[in-house]
Amino acid sequence: MSSVAIIGDIDTVSGFRLGGVKKAEVVNTPDEAIAAFDKFLDEEISIIIITQLMANEIRNHIDRKIGSSVLPMIIEIPDKDGSSEGSSDQINDLIKRVIGVEMVK
Amino acid sequence: MAQDIIDGINPTRMELLSLKNRTKLAVKGHGLLKEKRDALIKEFFDILDRVKGIRENAELSLKEANEALVEAQIAMGDLAVRKAALSVKESIDVEITSRSVMGVAVPVTNVHMEERSIIDRGYGFSDTTIQLDEAAKKFEESLKYLIELGEVEKTIFLLAEEIEATKRRVNALEHIMIPRFQNTEKYIDMRLQEMERENFVRLKMIRSTIEKNEKAAAAKEAENAEA
Repeated sequence: MSSVAIIGDIDTVSGFRLGGVKKAEVVNTPDEAIAAFDKFLDEEISIIIITQLMANEIRNHIDRKIGSSVLPMIIEIPDKDGSSEGSSDQINDLIKRVIGVEMVK
Repeated sequence: MAQDIIDGINPTRMELLSLKNRTKLAVKGHGLLKEKRDALIKEFFDILDRVKGIRENAELSLKEANEALVEAQIAMGDLAVRKAALSVKESIDVEITSRSVMGVAVPVTNVHMEERSIIDRGYGFSDTTIQLDEAAKKFEESLKYLIELGEVEKTIFLLAEEIEATKRRVNALEHIMIPRFQNTEKYIDMRLQEMERENFVRLKMIRSTIEKNEKAAAAKEAENAEA
């Protein structure tokens, strides 16, 4: 059975703790985020929720660790005063890359 | 590019035969991969339609949850909220299996989340407010959406990767491997024909030499007979 973990600022973490996520790690710097991320990877958590702000800071680290494996799933969420430009951009880029070439053909 | 052939190949009939087989295989593989690519892209588009709505849902519900949390913080104070949050019991149970889309393993989540009443959550009543209950409920809800979103986004990433790899393979076969095989085939064929012509000429030469020799011998014999 798999569980969910959350990495983020204190408010986001409090919120998700209320929602019933037990594995939570409050982080304020990228280094802390990397440490928390690695800890959850070692525990083989299958879903890691991380705030977009932190995810952008440690993007390289995440990509290196995850690569193209199926698990864990990384879900990026906007924090309490953030929009989520980054992630939808990522998806759009992906679509352009995958389909764009197809359109030319 | 047009004259790109396989290096160091022997222009023999054996090579030609095996090359023909390889070309046949390459063409077949190319067709199959093309079909695979098209199927993947179709799947990709199907899931793309889903992701838009899911992301909006998830973000909306998260925003509401955050607002509720702020309200709770206003009513109770930051610290009390954090304290209450720490005592909440684990609520969510996710089962992750995988399904295969054209050979790509994509995750399928199955969220078990019991509807919890205030009593089940685990914090005390004396120092918490109704806003906190509301915030907890909202976060439980958005958690469900987020996990669904995670599943779909992961699927999209995995599919996109596979599509790119397949596309690369299709293009490599179509534009490099198959033309190269065909050019090499042509090259060997031409070399073989050339060799045949050479042989033909050689035979002619030999025959004409032999005939000349015979004629000369016959003439000599006739001379001898006369004498």
